[in-house]
Formats: sequence, structure tokens, C-alpha cells
Amino acid sequence: MAHKEVIFGLYSDEQDLLKAIRKAKSSHLDIMDVYTPFPVHGLDPLLDLEESRIHIAGFIYGMIGTLTAFLSMTWITTKDWPVIFGGKPYWSVPAFIPITFELTVLFACVGMVITFYIICGMGPGVTNPTLDDRITDDKFCLAFDKAHVSENDARALFSSTGAEEVNSKTI
Amino acid sequence: MNHYSISNSLRTILFVMMGLGVLCLGLTWIGDDHSHTRFWSNVLHNAVFFTGIAIMATFFMAASITAYAGWYTAFKRVFESFSAFLLPGFIIMTLIGVAVFMHANHLYHWADEKSVANDEILKGKSGFLNKNWYLFGTVIIGAAYTYIAMKIRSLSVAEEHTEGEANFSTHRSIRTYAAIFLPVFGFTSVVLIWQWIMSVDAHWYSTMFAWYSLASLFVAMMCLVALLLIYLRGKGYYQNLSKHHVHDVGKFIFGISVFWTYLWFSQFMLIWYANIGEETIYFRERYDNYPVLFFGNLVINFALPFLILMRNDTKWKTGSISFIAVVVFLGHWLDFFLMVKPGVLHTAHELVGHAAEGGHGAAETAGGGHGAEAVSSIVSGFTFPGMLELGTMLGFLGLFMFTILTALSKSSLTSEKDPYVGESLHHHV
Repeated sequence: MAHKEVIFGLYSDEQDLLKAIRKAKSSHLDIMDVYTPFPVHGLDPLLDLEESRIHIAGFIYGMIGTLTAFLSMTWITTKDWPVIFGGKPYWSVPAFIPITFELTVLFACVGMVITFYIICGMGPGVTNPTLDDRITDDKFCLAFDKAHVSENDARALFSSTGAEEVNSKTI
Repeated sequence: MNHYSISNSLRTILFVMMGLGVLCLGLTWIGDDHSHTRFWSNVLHNAVFFTGIAIMATFFMAASITAYAGWYTAFKRVFESFSAFLLPGFIIMTLIGVAVFMHANHLYHWADEKSVANDEILKGKSGFLNKNWYLFGTVIIGAAYTYIAMKIRSLSVAEEHTEGEANFSTHRSIRTYAAIFLPVFGFTSVVLIWQWIMSVDAHWYSTMFAWYSLASLFVAMMCLVALLLIYLRGKGYYQNLSKHHVHDVGKFIFGISVFWTYLWFSQFMLIWYANIGEETIYFRERYDNYPVLFFGNLVINFALPFLILMRNDTKWKTGSISFIAVVVFLGHWLDFFLMVKPGVLHTAHELVGHAAEGGHGAAETAGGGHGAEAVSSIVSGFTFPGMLELGTMLGFLGLFMFTILTALSKSSLTSEKDPYVGESLHHHV
């Protein structure tokens, strides 16, 4: 992966961050990314982020789980190893429902977690560079790629919007 | 537009609905068997359904206040106005209780003393299932609910007129009443459901029944809230609400529909699995004689809201949420139809049988034609809701809407002095 020269400003208030983003957008600065320690209301529409499509994937995984459970129970109890339980017919649909429900939930959850890790490029053994450790704690970070935004423009924006610190890092 | 007033055309519509309901009840009474089984079961069905909706609205309000919930505060008057139906609802239930007390109807098998005398099971249950407790329990529990709901409502209106800086003392006393209501509701709501609905099948019982029917009422209540909000917003009221408020009401319809299905299925599967005759008779009866409603119940109240409301945007888009609210409301009305009618019909059969044994029942049996012909064939009014049932439902709906809209017009729509109103107006998900 090509290295990026990143210049970023740290804010300690999310309202300052939102103001800085609005100003950067109005002066046509290309924002690389924004990092916050918790979800900030109104940030997604401000950055023109599309709604996540992971729930569509989740629905498909859930349906796969439903079919897996229902069809395998049907096959097991009617073809592979038919056993009479409590005088019920082999194909006792009400008894399958709890397992069908459980596998639907399991497939949807595990599938969405795996999908999320793949999309984000995360996984065992992968280390992702962090711009600053404090953005997981109490700082809000606005980052620009120096290839697209000149350092002077970025510094002018940070100083005019009250960034507490301005740092550069190569990731 | 913070003050609602009922428009004249809406008032006319509601009065026409109420008139239709009275007309349908009258027609039902005239064309009925000698003990007026269809008439009384329709009254019981609708009275319990709409009173239950008012009870669940009061419960929702009390639970939200106790949980420090703020999102619904901007339209809390809607829930308060729903609780205004507690008084007329419990009055109708008391009238039914008086009729049971005076043996004017034959809704309940346990109310027939001749049957109880020869029936060990009914004799064993007679400590709870007797005409004295039925009337007394309805009155005393209804009075407690109505008193607390009226107290919360009047304090909430008084809060709005407090002068000067808010010191939250009124809100604290509202919270006290809400917290008192919750345990009262928790222990007595099941008793009401047992004696009003579950004892229709006097020999049968299920420990999950009260939860299941209360979940049904909760969904029906939320559907009415969604429809009322959409109607009021369309008329220009509640412009301070955003789509996020309707979205959360939609989430409640979605979530509690799934909860209802969970309880319905848990009750069904346990009884199906244990396969004890005394318990399976409840489902055997409905499965054999009411197949359309039995399976349609699951499709309307689970499959439709689950699949349609699963998406994000269908919970706040007016078309989809109002469609699903109407369908699911009717679905839960049908669910209650299915709880009440088979048991009442069965009781009517039994009583006709006893009368015949007594040697003077031949003529009455002929009059009670419904009793004999209903089993295993679709009979409008018993195995399937007929026009008279729908008309009765519209009548009760008209009375319900008239009561709550009158209550809604008596105070401002959004309480400006509630400590949570700011949080509610900035509600964002």
C-alpha cells in the first residue's frame, strides 16, 4: 500500500469538529477522513456517507441460516435417521422452529461480523495505523491527505477553527 | 397549532360510526339465539379489546416515565388521551359484569351454577371464577387504573400551567404515581385477562395467555398511535415532531409484533409437545373449525409486519406505516375474536344440551340455531367475523376515537413545561 502523508487536527469538542468540516467543505478541501471516539450525530450526512448496505448482507445470511436449519432438520428426521419422539410424526415442523430461529440469528450475526472485517480490511494479524491514540479516548480528529490538500490551506483551516493540535504523520 | 379541536366533519363521521355500532348491536340482538350469545360475545370482544388498548397506553406512559424516557414527551398527550378511555371502557366491562352477576348472559361456563355443581374442575376453580369476584374484581381494578391514570393526566396538565422557573415538583409526583401504577398493573392486568378472556374456555388454562394477549393489545395500541400521529400531522398539528418519532413508534410495532409471535408460538409449542388432552383442546378446536383465522392470524400479525417493517424507511414513510398499522390493528382484533368466540360458542352448546336434558329445551334448541350448525362450517359471526361484527367494531372504534380526541382537545398538544420536552424535540436516531 502506498504511503500517505497525512496532516490532521485534533479537537476536544464535537461541535468544533462539525464546524471545521462545514468550513472545509465550503472551501472545497478534500477531507481524507474523520475519527471520533463515539458516534457523532449529524456527521454521516455532513460527510455525504452512503447508508451502510451491511443489513442487506445480514438479511441474506439470515435466510441462508433459516434454510440450512430447516432443510437439514427435515433431511435428518425424515431421511437420514428417522426416530419417533413422543409419538410425533417424523416431520414435526413446530419442533424445528426454535433451531431455525437460532441458526438464523447465528448466521446473520457471524456473517455480518466477517463481512464487516473484510470490508474494513481488519483481521487477525493485521495492524492498522492510528493517527493518534487519543482519538479512541477524548479527541476528535479531522485528517487531510497532503497529496490533495496543501499544508498551508490545512493549517489555515485548523487555526481558524480552533484545533488544539496540528500534527503530521506518514501512514 | 398547539391546540387540537375536532372538526365538524370528523365529529359527524365518529357519530355515524357510533350509530352504526348501536344499529349493528341491535340487529345482532334481534337475530340472535335465546341467550343472545352472539350479541354478548361481540360486546365482550370489543369492550375488552378497546379497554385493553387504553390500559396498555397507560402502562406505556407509566413505564416510560419511570424509565426516564424522553423521546415521546412531545406527544405524550396522545397516550394520556388514550388513557381517558379507561373510564368508559371499565363502565362497559362493569355492565357486562352486572349481566354475568344477574345471569343475563351465558358467556361463561363457570357462571352457570347447574354446570358447576356437576363439574369437579369448575368447582375447583370457583374460588376465583365466580360471579361475585368477576364483578368486584372488574370494578376495583378498573377504579384503581382509572384513578391513577386520571391523576397522571391532571398533574401533567397542571404542570403546564406552573408559573416561573420549573422546580420539577409536579413531575416528581407524576413519577410517583407512574411508579405506583407499574406493580398494580403487573399483578392485576393478568387477573383481568384471566377472568375476562381466558375463563371463556373455563376448563382450560395457560400460564402464558396473559402475556400473549397483553402483547397483542400493546401492538394494537401502537398501531392506533401511529395512525393518529400521521392523521394529526397531515392536518397540520404536531409539526414539531420529526420522522424519527414516527420511526420509533414503527420500531415498537415491529418489535412487539415479534414479541407477540414469540409468546404465541411458545404457548402453542409447549401445548403441542406435551400433548395433554385438557390443554390441546384449545388449539384442536381452533385448528379444526377456524383454520383461516388460525393461520391468517400468524400471517397478518407476524409475517406482514416482520417483512414490511424490517427495512429502515418503511417505519416512517406514511404509506407503508399506515398500511401496516391498519392491517395489524385488524389482525389483533381478529386475534381477540379467536380467543373469545370458540369458547363462548362451546358454552352455548353445553347449555343448550343441559336444557335439552332438563326436558324443556326442544323449542329453545330450535331457536338457538347457531349453536347447532356452527361446528365445522364457516358461520358468519361465529367462525368468521360477519358484517355485524365489523359494524360493532367500528362503533366501538368511533366511541374510542371520540373519547380520546375530546381528551386531546382539552389541553395543548405539546407540554412546554415537561422537563423532557427539549430532549424529545431534538430526538434523533
